[in-house]
Amino acid sequence: MNSQVFAAFDELLRSPRAIAARSRGGGDLRPLFVASLSALVLGAGVFGATLATSRGGLQLLYSGVKLPLAMVVTMLLVVPAFHAIAAGLGRPLSFSGMIGLTLAAAGRGALVLVALSPLIWLSFDRGLSYHPGVLLAAACYALAGLAALDLVLRGVGLDARGLLIVSLFAGVLFAAGGQTAWMFRPFLGRPSAVSVPFFRARESSFWDAVQQSSLSSFGVYRVTRALSEAEGRVRSTQSEPAVEHSSESR
Amino acid sequence: MEQSFPTIGSAPPPSLGARLTSAEAQGATQELARLGAGLGLAALYGLALGARTGGVSLVQHALAASAGLAAVGVLGIPALFVLLALVDAPVSPGAMLSAGARSLASAGFVLAGLAPSAALLAVTIESPDAVAFVTRAGLTLAGGIGLVQLTSSVRTMLKDLPAERRLKCNALLFGFSLFAIMLAGRVWYTLPILKGAL
Repeated sequence: MNSQVFAAFDELLRSPRAIAARSRGGGDLRPLFVASLSALVLGAGVFGATLATSRGGLQLLYSGVKLPLAMVVTMLLVVPAFHAIAAGLGRPLSFSGMIGLTLAAAGRGALVLVALSPLIWLSFDRGLSYHPGVLLAAACYALAGLAALDLVLRGVGLDARGLLIVSLFAGVLFAAGGQTAWMFRPFLGRPSAVSVPFFRARESSFWDAVQQSSLSSFGVYRVTRALSEAEGRVRSTQSEPAVEHSSESR
Repeated sequence: MEQSFPTIGSAPPPSLGARLTSAEAQGATQELARLGAGLGLAALYGLALGARTGGVSLVQHALAASAGLAAVGVLGIPALFVLLALVDAPVSPGAMLSAGARSLASAGFVLAGLAPSAALLAVTIESPDAVAFVTRAGLTLAGGIGLVQLTSSVRTMLKDLPAERRLKCNALLFGFSLFAIMLAGRVWYTLPILKGAL
């Protein structure tokens, strides 16, 4: 079993085609499950902890735990959608095969995140500020996501229908994964924050956060709704001094 | 490169998705069961949306999500059969029932697959507009897949027709598609979550 797990681990990186064929073919997928889940937990944990080096302290532990958790929860949410979309578009794979394929893709993506961790660490160490750091992390997620979707595409078939299935699945994954990660935030933690919470209170949504970070990285700050309501009015974003909610973090 | 995919016959036992979306025609009872399963699965998506407020809203959303598909099945597909028969297309009630059951089951299955993600988004996103957008996206995706299944099944029945009659049938299919979109949309817009009530 151990040798099979190590072989599957190696295949995750070197041979996505073999992983895809194994998922499609059925059979004993346990070594693949174990290898993929290990890669996911280890890879996402390392990347999460690296992100937290911008804040340090307890945030390192929290982010190292929360990022793998967010990815596993996302997998649980999106696998049924993937299975249904593929079946609806004429590629009915077995449910266990779908789980294997999705888990393997997530594990592969997590390994890409590990490879990108030194870049993240160096960037923060060289003084990368908070909002550009958020965008750099998002770019890393995008790269990892592409590596993962490549494996998924091989699993459902490298043709127009396969591309359509993967595109629709990617849309679901983006929405569900983004919102899940948003619920599990903060991963970086604001340097100015006094305490390090494990979870933030529910507010806004992932999409709002993406918009706000994009604007903030260019020096345009928006006041969050909580602050706006407290002041009873909405401030103009550019004509007045930049104000942002002190507890906002990702 | 040619790739092999498990088919219904080669992977024992076939998954629920494979059975619901199979192009193989079955008896009327099995087709009705497939249709019923699709409508039941669609209700799961409604339940997920109703979780935003809970209570009676769960039932309202579950009923409305299924009703959109049921309306197309009850009002649209028999009408399509009649119109296709008028232009002497080689369609039979059994074949149309099979095509309709397959398409509605596919749409319902996709809605059920989207239900876990929809529940997360409906419960955790504050903005009613954003939740309405997510809801519409899910319904559009599932409805689109169901419609593609139906039109491809019907087009398969028409493949041996002369070009002129096939053109008429395709025009009817196009008209039916527009009607089905409007009808399902009309019913689905009764979902409280789309009316800005939540």
